[in-house]
Amino acid sequence: MSETILDLKNAAIYQRESLILSEVDVTVNKGEFVYLIGKTGTGKSSFMKTLYGDLPLTEGEGTIVDYNLRTLKEKDIPYLRRKLGVVFQDFKLLTDRNIKDNLLFVLKATGWKDQKAMDHKIDEVLDKVGMKSKGFKFPYQLSGGEQQRVAIARALLNDPELILADEPTGNLDPQTSVEVMEVLQDISKNGNTILMATHDYALLLKYPSKTLKCDGQRVFEVVQKSV
Amino acid sequence: MSTSFEKYQKRRLISSYFSVVISIALVLFLLGMLGLLVLNTKKVADHFKEQIALTVYFKDSAKEVEMEELKKSLAMADYTKSTTFVSKEDAAEAHSKEIGEDFMEFLGYNPLQNSIDVYMNADYVSAEQVDEIAAELTGKNFVDEVIYDKPLISLLNDNVKKISFWVLIASGIFTFIAVLLINSSIRLSVYSKRFIIKTMQMVGATKGFIRRPFIWQSVKLGIIGAILALIGMAAFLYYLDNSFPELDLAGDIKILAALFIGVFLTGILITWLSTFFATSRFLNLKTDELYY
Ligand SMILES: Nc1ncnc2c1ncn2[C@@H]1O[C@H](COP(=O)(O)OP(=O)(O)OP(=O)(O)O)[C@@H](O)[C@H]1O
Ligand SMILES: [Mg+2]
Repeated sequence: MSETILDLKNAAIYQRESLILSEVDVTVNKGEFVYLIGKTGTGKSSFMKTLYGDLPLTEGEGTIVDYNLRTLKEKDIPYLRRKLGVVFQDFKLLTDRNIKDNLLFVLKATGWKDQKAMDHKIDEVLDKVGMKSKGFKFPYQLSGGEQQRVAIARALLNDPELILADEPTGNLDPQTSVEVMEVLQDISKNGNTILMATHDYALLLKYPSKTLKCDGQRVFEVVQKSV
Repeated sequence: MSTSFEKYQKRRLISSYFSVVISIALVLFLLGMLGLLVLNTKKVADHFKEQIALTVYFKDSAKEVEMEELKKSLAMADYTKSTTFVSKEDAAEAHSKEIGEDFMEFLGYNPLQNSIDVYMNADYVSAEQVDEIAAELTGKNFVDEVIYDKPLISLLNDNVKKISFWVLIASGIFTFIAVLLINSSIRLSVYSKRFIIKTMQMVGATKGFIRRPFIWQSVKLGIIGAILALIGMAAFLYYLDNSFPELDLAGDIKILAALFIGVFLTGILITWLSTFFATSRFLNLKTDELYY
């Protein structure tokens, strides 16, 4: 049960020419729940972006769900992203269509054909995040927290091998944060792997787990007590 | 609930489609009219060219059989459109009528010759080819001389060449402007969705999958625009044909159909290509580059 899902060796992460993180050595095994913490601007989102192919990895080694990040070709990126469920810090919902159609787009784009199965899947994930009754609304008609939940629901659609969640509780009140966390914990218990960037230290205390910290252009594992 | 806002959005969408459709329709209409002009310069030029006759005068010694023979062989030749035999008596009669007195009265004989007027097919009416034909005819021993208006032929050909050249240049420039115009309206409508395109890529959609609905949408607008343009062209043709029936604009249905189909396909092709390139532009950009 220690199949490696994500493995970075001596990787460096750049935003344009400026170095954000260097000498990154990170291994995540299947089924793990991993926090990524760090102050604002330390490079958590940049780290995530490298993992889903939005920033190229130009130094070091990196493999994620069987894709080599160094040799990743542009045409492979869509297929890598299908194996990942990404919850973006800024949600990235399609603003020109309602929630149901947002989710429907993802399913169709990733090769689903059966309308009934798609409807069923959409209901299922919306139910998980408690948004089942709002499927007809447009993104601009939802509060920030509601959009965030939809973004999580979208990440769950294809039962991804690895979920990358960039501050999935960033816009939620403490109680809703806990609800969303429960959802992620459930998913994690089902054997999914989750990497979650967060500022929310209360959650770390409530749901302790392996924790990585970004600081001073480095990523290192921290022991919970010293957080 | 939110209906007024959605209605407003829909209206905005429709009005932006409207401007794309109108520019496509206008451009295709003008392109179609230009096509009509190009098709008809040839028709009009040919019409003039086929008015030009080559007159073969026979020697008085020419025998009836020889003249018959030549008439037949001329009728068989590729370059002949039609021939008319004018006997010296007919010529005299026509000439007398023209000058208003019977000149044979005081001359006592008929000085005119038997002749054949040869009207040529338009494709053969060029200075060199007519010279060749004339030389061949003059070579026959019963032919006295062959007369034709050489300067007129050169003039006609030069002018046709000049006009065709400019019409072609104009068509080229016009097509270019047309493509630019349609391209920029489509680019604008794709540009307004650049973040949506990027987001689609983020959730694992392939470029082709993202592009497809955009292309289909524009091609639909292209088809609507093309249909409007064709209706306009048909109306204009109908009007022209009623006002100037002698031009026989609607005469060749096949060519006209080809022109209409051509305009229709151009509408589809231009919108298809523009959308393809406009979407590619944003699909190939990195996320931050969208903000520049
Ligand atoms: N597109 C970009 N181009 C250039 N520099 C960038 C870009 N995006 C981020 N940066 C820089 O990279 C650094 C890391 O940014 P990043 O977004 O990864 O931080 P973060 O840890 O996610 O912060 P937060 O907690 O606020 O989300 C910052 O200093 C930022 O200024
Ligand atoms: Mg961030």
